[in-house]
Amino acid sequence: MNNSFLRISIWVYLAIFFAYLLGPLVIMSITAFNSSGFPRMSPWECLTFQWFGELFQDQRILNGIKNSLIIGAGTVVLSVAMGLAGALMLTQIWPRLRATYYTVIIAPILIPGVVLGISTLVFWDRINRMLGLGADSFLSNGIFLTVIGQSTFIASYCMLVLVARLQRYDMALTEAALDLGATHAQAFRKILLPFMRPAIASAAVLAFLASFENYNTTTFTFGEYPTLTIELAQKVRYGITPAISALAFIIVALTVFFALLNEAKLKRQELVAAARKNATVEELAGKIKLPSFFSGNMAAVLLVVFAVATITVVGTATAYNPGQCIADVKEQKRLEADQRIQELRKQREEQRKKREAEEAEQGDAQSAPKPSNNSGFGNVFAPNSLGDEETSEPETPPASNDGFGGAFDPNALQKDQ
Amino acid sequence: MPHFLKEFFNRNGTGMGLGILGLVLFWTIGLIILPQLSMLDFSFRPNLPPPEIGGPKDVYTLENYKYLVFGPEGGSQDYNTVDLRVFFRTLLAAVCVTIFNLILCYPIAYYLGQSKGSHIRIFAIMLIIPYWINEILRAFALRIIFGETGVLNTLFVGLGIWDMPFDFIRNDIALYAGLGYAYILLMIFPMYNVIESLDKNQIEAARDLGAPWWRIHWRVVIPYAKPGISSGCTMVFMLSAGALAAPQILGGPSSLWFTQLIYQQFNDNNDWPQGAAYAIVLLVTCILFVLAMMRLFKVNMGDIGK
Repeated sequence: MNNSFLRISIWVYLAIFFAYLLGPLVIMSITAFNSSGFPRMSPWECLTFQWFGELFQDQRILNGIKNSLIIGAGTVVLSVAMGLAGALMLTQIWPRLRATYYTVIIAPILIPGVVLGISTLVFWDRINRMLGLGADSFLSNGIFLTVIGQSTFIASYCMLVLVARLQRYDMALTEAALDLGATHAQAFRKILLPFMRPAIASAAVLAFLASFENYNTTTFTFGEYPTLTIELAQKVRYGITPAISALAFIIVALTVFFALLNEAKLKRQELVAAARKNATVEELAGKIKLPSFFSGNMAAVLLVVFAVATITVVGTATAYNPGQCIADVKEQKRLEADQRIQELRKQREEQRKKREAEEAEQGDAQSAPKPSNNSGFGNVFAPNSLGDEETSEPETPPASNDGFGGAFDPNALQKDQ
Repeated sequence: MPHFLKEFFNRNGTGMGLGILGLVLFWTIGLIILPQLSMLDFSFRPNLPPPEIGGPKDVYTLENYKYLVFGPEGGSQDYNTVDLRVFFRTLLAAVCVTIFNLILCYPIAYYLGQSKGSHIRIFAIMLIIPYWINEILRAFALRIIFGETGVLNTLFVGLGIWDMPFDFIRNDIALYAGLGYAYILLMIFPMYNVIESLDKNQIEAARDLGAPWWRIHWRVVIPYAKPGISSGCTMVFMLSAGALAAPQILGGPSSLWFTQLIYQQFNDNNDWPQGAAYAIVLLVTCILFVLAMMRLFKVNMGDIGK
């Protein structure tokens, strides 16, 4: 009893946790397909793909992507190189210096990104002035400053990734190569680099992603080259549209795709290794029957499902035209607005009736002269009263006064557009 | 040439050795140490137009730091209450976010670290995916949820629990949720790494000896996981105190984050030395706070980052 209670509470907790973690992304992705002009899930209006089209016509976003790619490439090269050098240095530095050195190269991870951005900006500005260069020199160029600023801390991440693999490296291999007559550069290129390649690849991916999504440092250094993240921040701060949701959806889809692809590949390697281990001698000698890509590989199956879903969505998007639905929703909204106006008007008239009646009673009692006509119906039937009301209430949109709220007015639709 | 340098070049060859040494020196001195020192120096200087820099007026001054504490000279108040309040509120909120994250993430780190099976890998992927989505977009997603016509308000008003939409953004709930959301992974990973290496026999021994589940955690798991917990807390605290994107997007109109003040000094007021001084204050306070906490909970610096 106690055990099952614990089990249930664990699953409830996991559900809440992952809802907090993934829910926002799911909801944001869904808003990309709602035709409402403000990104929201409810009320759901129409399924639409127009925001994707809008996204790809946005010059600032496209320019931001271009700058991000350039800066990302620069950061990857610089920070992987520095990270590798830093890791090599860490394995062979003088032991007494080791702790200090480690603190220095790990510190950028903990220093707030804002501080790194400011210090980069201030420092290179000073160098620039010391060299007597103008404001448009290479050293004050936004791309250069951003690459430098981001590499300061991204190199630390790369170093951590690389040093983990470097610790498993057998120095005797390099020594053997040197004994056999290789130069140091050859030993590095032919022995150490191939061994480090997987770690270098993951460090490069990590560096690129970190550079691509960095905001805090870049916001001080970008100069005239805003990256995608900077552009997004500007857009989100000053008016949000579902086009941002569309971009987010694309990024989420790409991330999920590559995560699944990676997982499927890893799983396959594992399965192959297991099959090799369990294979009998004859099987190994003859034809070894390796498991197919999909058997027992959950991630691969998901990957295919995901790819099919994407293709379906894109296929629908090219054929689908939400125009009719959007027009319907527009009409619906207009009807609702009209109805609300009618209700408001009715309410106000009732109030007025009541007030007039009260005033009339008071007026009778005090026999004071009143400017209004004291007919029993108040002003309801006075021909000008409605028109007066409309001019005195600017927040009420003008509408024709027939009982259908202008729904059948042939000009109404054209007016709306 | 010192002995260790000679050995270094012997081992790596002259060309390779120079390359490694050059890159490391460029990184440590050119990118880490000198810029920080330069910013420190800059923060003690008055804000001058470019032609006057290096002139007779360019002397060291404490003016920028005084401004943070006492406000503008001849101001109406004794202390710069606006900026100081923002500063302390930022620190306090960062502490709250850290504690919230710790409570939220400890159970999942324990669960992931102690259970086996293929679903753990799927969970790990689900944890990592949000982390690769742009920081801005994550904040944007929370804004869709917490907005006045957002998902939560529509849901609660629709269910009749509230009659008026609740303003999450003005009450800073969106901001705290966003900051916590942004750094979940940084809290889970160090804890997971440590808890994974905990011998299950220890837990079973405690259980056999009759300890209830909370005491097992209190006396066995948490002391063992202390290095991981302190790394996670340090990272989350430093990053949320230094966050800029989430406060800009999710913060209420009346509440500022200290980094936003720094940003304003740089971009709106064009007062770089003042901004640098604020940045130094933030950096030094955060480091001192973390060191004090580590002393309080008896954690060694060397344990962090393991």
